[in-house]
Amino acid sequence: MGTENPGRPGFPARPASSPFAAAPQTATPFSSTGAVAGSDPPPFRPTAMPPPPQAPSPFSSSGPPVRPGVPGFRPAPTGTFNDPSLPPPQPPIANAPPAAGTFQRFPPPPFSSSAQAPLQQRAPFVGQPSIQQSASQPPSFPEPPQPQTPFVQMGPPPQSTSPAPMGSNVPTPTYQPSFPGYARMQQPPPVHSSFPPNQGNYGPPPAAASSPFLPHQGGYAPSPAMAAPLGMQPPGSGPPIGGIQGLTEDFNSLTVQTRPGTMDPLFDAKELPRPLDGDVEPKNLDDMYPMNCHPRYLRLTTSAVPSSQSLASRWHLPLGAVVCPLAEPPEGEELSVVSFAPASVVRCRRCRTYVNPYMTFTEAGRKFRCNVCTLLNDVPSEYYAQLDATGKRVDLDQRPELTKGTVEFVAPAEYMVRPPMPPVYFFLIDVSISAVRSGMIQIVAETIKSCLDELPGFPRTQIGFATFDSTIHFYNMKSSLTQPQMLVVSDLDDVFVPLPDDLLVNLSESRSVVESFLDNLPSMFQDNVNVESAFGPALKAVFMVMSQLGGKLLIFQNTLPSLGVGRLKLRGDDSRVYGTDKEHVLRLPEDPFYKQMAAEFSKFQISTNVYAFSDKYTDIASLGTLAKYTAGQVYYYPAFQSAIHGEKLRHELRRDLTRETAWEAVMRIRCAKGVRFTTYHGNFMLRSTDLLALPAVDCDKAFAMQLSLEETLLTTQTMYFQVALLYTASCGERRIRVHTMAVPVVTDLGEMYRLADTGAVVSLFSRLAIEKTLSQKLEDARSTVQLRIVKALKEYRNLYAVQHRLANRMIYPESLKFLMLYGLALCRSMALRGGFGDVPLDERCAAGHTMMVLPIKRLLKLLYPSLIRLDEYLLKVDLKSIERRLPLTMESLDSRGLYIYDDGFRFILWFGKGASPEIAKNLLGEDFAAELSKAALSEHDNEMSRGLVRVLEKFRNSDRAYYQLCYLVRQGEQPREGFLLLTNLVEDQMGGNNGYSDWMLQISRQVQQ
Amino acid sequence: MGWKLFFWLVICFPTSIALLATTFYQVLILSDLESDYINPFDASSRINYFVLPEYIVQGALCVLCLFTGHWFMFFLTLPVTCYHIMRYVKREHLIDVTEVFRGLNAERKFRLAKLVMYLILLIVVIFRLTLIGIYYLGIETDDDPASFW
Repeated sequence: MGTENPGRPGFPARPASSPFAAAPQTATPFSSTGAVAGSDPPPFRPTAMPPPPQAPSPFSSSGPPVRPGVPGFRPAPTGTFNDPSLPPPQPPIANAPPAAGTFQRFPPPPFSSSAQAPLQQRAPFVGQPSIQQSASQPPSFPEPPQPQTPFVQMGPPPQSTSPAPMGSNVPTPTYQPSFPGYARMQQPPPVHSSFPPNQGNYGPPPAAASSPFLPHQGGYAPSPAMAAPLGMQPPGSGPPIGGIQGLTEDFNSLTVQTRPGTMDPLFDAKELPRPLDGDVEPKNLDDMYPMNCHPRYLRLTTSAVPSSQSLASRWHLPLGAVVCPLAEPPEGEELSVVSFAPASVVRCRRCRTYVNPYMTFTEAGRKFRCNVCTLLNDVPSEYYAQLDATGKRVDLDQRPELTKGTVEFVAPAEYMVRPPMPPVYFFLIDVSISAVRSGMIQIVAETIKSCLDELPGFPRTQIGFATFDSTIHFYNMKSSLTQPQMLVVSDLDDVFVPLPDDLLVNLSESRSVVESFLDNLPSMFQDNVNVESAFGPALKAVFMVMSQLGGKLLIFQNTLPSLGVGRLKLRGDDSRVYGTDKEHVLRLPEDPFYKQMAAEFSKFQISTNVYAFSDKYTDIASLGTLAKYTAGQVYYYPAFQSAIHGEKLRHELRRDLTRETAWEAVMRIRCAKGVRFTTYHGNFMLRSTDLLALPAVDCDKAFAMQLSLEETLLTTQTMYFQVALLYTASCGERRIRVHTMAVPVVTDLGEMYRLADTGAVVSLFSRLAIEKTLSQKLEDARSTVQLRIVKALKEYRNLYAVQHRLANRMIYPESLKFLMLYGLALCRSMALRGGFGDVPLDERCAAGHTMMVLPIKRLLKLLYPSLIRLDEYLLKVDLKSIERRLPLTMESLDSRGLYIYDDGFRFILWFGKGASPEIAKNLLGEDFAAELSKAALSEHDNEMSRGLVRVLEKFRNSDRAYYQLCYLVRQGEQPREGFLLLTNLVEDQMGGNNGYSDWMLQISRQVQQ
Repeated sequence: MGWKLFFWLVICFPTSIALLATTFYQVLILSDLESDYINPFDASSRINYFVLPEYIVQGALCVLCLFTGHWFMFFLTLPVTCYHIMRYVKREHLIDVTEVFRGLNAERKFRLAKLVMYLILLIVVIFRLTLIGIYYLGIETDDDPASFW
């Protein structure tokens, strides 16, 4: 663990530096990092590094040539540009001058052909982030600019290491991340009326100063849009000299207007930012650290770690990470599995960091320096490889662990405490009368049977069943039997397990018995009239069966537990409790039995998934606890009816059974000394201060954690995070999945905002808010969200308040432009919305449990679902309309249209009043005029209906974690329309909830106070 | 006089030592837990084993002091008793194994504070014992016991 390392405060040289010595020229390229790094020289300066000899060579060259072209601008001191880059002397390049000027701002873009040459030279550089190099350089140079130096540097240095062809000059998309303003420029918000659209960013007075750059744009920017970014750099990043950049605006802003006729301020609703493209994964570090793991595995709330505690305390948003260790890679992308056998996994001796691309090899390959703790380790003899002339290992291309941020190691025996367990599935099914009536048993039995072939881990998979009503029934499925034997345990006070050996059987051996059991299960209890539920005792009995191996326990529960230990009572129907200090108790488990069981389950590697179906109160708060501490999941189907919800249950259960699962896993996230992860949020149990116990984990679970600085000052320029998940794969192999990420350490708050990631921030926010609802009122949880957003924006505003005229404007960083909307959506989400009457208690708790595990992308979709107009597509008027997401407001709904609302968990089809009856007839068949609540959507024999089914299928396939059931609603059909759709239009004001523009106004007022 | 000696020597002295020892043991386990020398399941079951006995003994001592009129001792033990009652009423007296780490620091701080309280208690008890000892010894040399009390 990073924390273990002894501090090396004074340590001047980066581990990577050694390779450079060999080839001095290589070093220069890094400067290119300038893009990111260069833009903010100040952050890196703290490290006192002897400037490399070549350092002085500066690129700034561009200075003089440029100026002439730009008579109007005040001559910018060359110093401005130089800090970031140190290009090696290059032959002069024709386009150099223009590029140079720009290059500071856009490091990456410049790669014109000329850039190429230098890039290749960089090759020697192994994995090392270029940033450090640049840091070493003196921030500004007095020397005259040299034309040749050019922007070569602009190229992202890290790329050099990557095999990707550098030659092609950077495609436009590359830039996007680095420039906050870029996206905005393409559609300049009307707000900025005061600024010319093109250079909108410059405030009028400062404009003159910044202008020098403008002329250059043409040179490098492929598209006119690029021009905008120039002005957008955070002031902090600018060279020390120039207040220049400080004067340009690198933030987004909204102007408060005045409502015509009155003095009420308001925002123009059309200008408010909306995440209509869904989640955008951060790419800002791709250039700087190309060997980082993909953001789908690990995302930080800001990809810039503050260098000091004081800086961290000014960042009012959560500082942390969201990890989804098993996220599904896109089709065709395979993880590399590395085996070190017969040797052990290569790790740093001191901090136990796994070998990763940022480790540097020295002394002819005999030693490697740990990137996290900088300790010089011996390379195990089996792992030895020579270094080539550039300091790279000769076998680099056969070593995925040295080139990729995500790899999987095969763990040798020392990573096992027992032989790897087989996949175990145990089903605990409620067979009381309500379960029978709902048809749940039938569907569950059918689905399990259909999945038997696809259960992971054949032929080792084990399976077992138990059912319960007022007694507990076990089934002996020994392979020698032809029919399963039912064993009834009716002593609930002293539960025992009959035949402990034959209740959990190997699936491939007992296949026929299992199948005949599943065939008979629905009919066995057909006439059951038992209304009781001995859930607690059944749970204890199952625990006894499973505790030998662990595994996955799926609970199908339909009746509130009423007998024996763990019995629960109706609660939550008292509206008076809401708003008092007792309110949160409703969302906590009522009986400590559930927490104790959860802890026991976790200890014995049992993961619990709870499927709840009741139409009455079923205390998800208590049952969900079982899932919460065992890395499980809660599925809630209120008032389950097999005819309506059957398909959803079938898909979700199938997904649960067949997705790749990691068994008996533990996860730890390591980081370098000075920083420590302190709190963890999600479904797991902590086994020690930083070790997450995950009895079974899969691709649909994400975990969030917050970090804090332990040292007042960080002396390194790069912080490394490494997530390691040690687990047993279904095939029986013990594996370690390792994700490594490097991020810069910065000294500037503006830079932290620039590199912020809204998705991760929102994900952490929602987990914190939901945890807050467990100890406080809903109201408090909501106001905390708002308060933190306000604080963050206030701090951000203070950064700029001095240089800019900000009156009547609300400013926010480009990277966080959707934060306010997501904050609003979070406060209006099922888990936090309203009070007693707004959401039934069970649904609220289920939503809370679900949101605690959702990966970022799905969470954002749930918070801000997509609303898409369908009729134009179905009528083939406008085939593109299906890709256009609309703002979630009543105004988007045209009464002549047909719309689909998709939050990832359900579809809502909204039929406008004025929609042509043709559409409804085609889609719904003859009974289209009937009540839509009873109508079911099925495929009819016409083009339009088939088209709709295809569309729904396409949406479902885009994310298969949940199955979206389709609800139909007609405009004006109250109250159905209200609770299905209208309350979810988060931008509209609804009851006591704010609309988007009111919310923004409220925040903006508080920020300016 | 016999009662006095009995009270201080046989009741208060062993009790305060026992309280001190259990609390110290709990702090120790919490520290072990933090540095990962013990797993949370063992840690919480070991601590929880001592929680109720500690509460009962401490409460009994407090009540005894009240009824025997040892006001100073009573007020000394009262804050801890109140704290215990509060924890018990809120059902927070036992360590929750699932959330141990979240409250680890607070738990340890409270226990350290309690440790200090018990230490003061022990010092007071020893002081009283000494006085009584001196008094008994003093009987032989001096016939005026009232000078002490």
